[in-house]
Amino acid sequence: MARIKVMIVDDEELLLFTTAKLLEKNGFKVIQATSAIEAIGLLKRHPVEVMILDGKMPGMDGLEALKTVKQFYPFIQVIILTGHATSEAAIEGLNLGAFDYIMKPISIEELIKKIENAYYIHQQMKEKKEFFFR
Amino acid sequence: MKNNGYKRLHKYIILSMVLAPVMIYVGALAIGYIYFANSLESSTESIMERVIKDHRQMIESFLEERKGDLTFLQDTYTYDELTNNQILAQILKQLQKKSPAFIDLGIFDNNGLHVAYQGPYDLTGRQYKKEGWFREVIEQGYYISDVFLGFRKVPHFVIAVVMNSEKRWVIRATIDTYLFNTLVEHISIGKTGEAYIVNAKGMLQTQRRSGGALMEVDEMNGGMPKYHEGIKVFMQSGINKEEFLTATTWLNNRSWMLVVRQDKQDAFQSLHSASYIIILLSIVGILIIIVVSFFLSTSIIRRMGEVNAEKDQLQYQLIRAGGLAELGEMATGFAHEINNPLQIIKNEQTLIRMNLSELYEEGQVNNSEVVAELEDSLNQIGIQIDRCARITQAILKFGRKSEAEIKTISLKEFIPQITVMIEKKAAVHGIEFYYQLSRGIQTIKGDPSQLQQVILNLLNNAIDAVIEKHSATGGKIEFFIRPDGKGNISFVVTDNGIGITQENIDKVFTPFFTTKPVGKGTGLGLSVCFGIIQKMGGRMEVTSNPNEGTTFNVLLPNDKVN
Repeated sequence: MARIKVMIVDDEELLLFTTAKLLEKNGFKVIQATSAIEAIGLLKRHPVEVMILDGKMPGMDGLEALKTVKQFYPFIQVIILTGHATSEAAIEGLNLGAFDYIMKPISIEELIKKIENAYYIHQQMKEKKEFFFR
Repeated sequence: MKNNGYKRLHKYIILSMVLAPVMIYVGALAIGYIYFANSLESSTESIMERVIKDHRQMIESFLEERKGDLTFLQDTYTYDELTNNQILAQILKQLQKKSPAFIDLGIFDNNGLHVAYQGPYDLTGRQYKKEGWFREVIEQGYYISDVFLGFRKVPHFVIAVVMNSEKRWVIRATIDTYLFNTLVEHISIGKTGEAYIVNAKGMLQTQRRSGGALMEVDEMNGGMPKYHEGIKVFMQSGINKEEFLTATTWLNNRSWMLVVRQDKQDAFQSLHSASYIIILLSIVGILIIIVVSFFLSTSIIRRMGEVNAEKDQLQYQLIRAGGLAELGEMATGFAHEINNPLQIIKNEQTLIRMNLSELYEEGQVNNSEVVAELEDSLNQIGIQIDRCARITQAILKFGRKSEAEIKTISLKEFIPQITVMIEKKAAVHGIEFYYQLSRGIQTIKGDPSQLQQVILNLLNNAIDAVIEKHSATGGKIEFFIRPDGKGNISFVVTDNGIGITQENIDKVFTPFFTTKPVGKGTGLGLSVCFGIIQKMGGRMEVTSNPNEGTTFNVLLPNDKVN
């Protein structure tokens, strides 16, 4: 199976590093970005299937970034991973197209499950599109 | 300090409530009394004036009539007829029929000789030329004498009229002094009112009822009483210092002074009665003012104390609520900041575990005690991370400003939904659970899920407290829902558990305060409940006795009141 490409976006560098390391050890290809702007810039050269996006970041926050990603890269499945979850924010995120909205801390096993489910949806959407445009 | 302040205030209020009304009340009574007294005095003097005027008129009429009787005789009979004793006797009889005041009748010639007489005395042939009355009547034409003794040596007075015909002659009649006395004396003015006549020399012409015989000098108006026009009314002191309201007027051609007088006390009897009534009213009124002031001020002070206590309580709750609100604000940022490091620690824990597994697989690590300890430590790290995560979740819930959904809750359906959960849990631990919803309580306005959270929290805390004290039996929890009589519905949870100490009872609603073992409670439950009930417009109270039990009381405004 091809390695699932995941982008992690979080302003907390150590969190970024440890999560990326764990995912790589579990066979994922991981791109790291410390801000939403950097992430959107990197997507042009490094397309990914799943994005793990921090909810609160300086500059463009998670929900703003989500809107932008979904606008230009609708197939990317975005998982919002935040330290501050409210039901309102979760509903808003899901309405904007997030795949899931989860609260830190999460175990790596759970995160991997979420990523694999998101990847499945991504593949479904891609196949539908390819079918449609055949 | 507070009590002293209230005592001072109480005294001040009483003083103010007593002084001002008493001054106004007494002032009003005094002014009323003065006006009444003046009016009464004026009225009494007017009455006296009227009485003496009427009395004077009556006496003068009497004297005029007697004079008229004699003048008639002169006009009707000749000198010769009148000097005939038989005819004179008949005339006297007729006169006496008309007026019993005539005692006798006498005819006098120009020289003062008593030429004819009819009466009880033997006066015929006596010479009166030198008598004062004769000289006066010859000079004036008619004369009413003062009371004198004369030849008969008995006090009497006469009315004499001169007949100017060919020869001058005088007809004289003696007036019954006793009858005249009765006429003058007969006056109805109070209990002590009396009337009498004195002459220009101050000698009594009639007897004085209070003491004074005919021809005695009137010690009050003795000497030469001064003539005055009209009627004079004045206060006069007696010999024994008694005071009289006196009225005087002159009659009989300025020779007699009519005196009407009344004892001052008697004259102003109604004023004295009014004085007693006013004094009584003053005393009673002042007493009533004092008593009412005392009770009113006591009630005011008590109410002030209650209101101040309520205000202190509200202020305390407000400060607490404010503190909680600030804490809520901080909570969300705090939780967010903690969760990131927690995620890092969790990741690092996983990495260490993964590296350890790799080392195992490569055979670089043996199963030793040290490795076992490492595993334990990693497990502990995981446990503590989860514990921290639960705490931050609880903090976030606490800080969440979720808007309450206000609905009308039917308590008949709502309460059993909660109690059925608690009944099962209580039964498992051998705790007797009893609840009662008072009749008449139908609905309440509030957020059903939040209210449920509060009640469940209280009941679960009660279960924990009972378990801590009792073993399998003896535990009891009661849950009452009833009106508190002040427009609130009271949700009361009482247990016979471990209780709360005096030092802790003030902290139960403080965030993070808990008496439960480490890891068993976040200490946020009651503070969250407190905030929920505050938002619903109610309040929470707690009372407890260590080792006996605790009662939590949640008060919410009655739906109907709202």
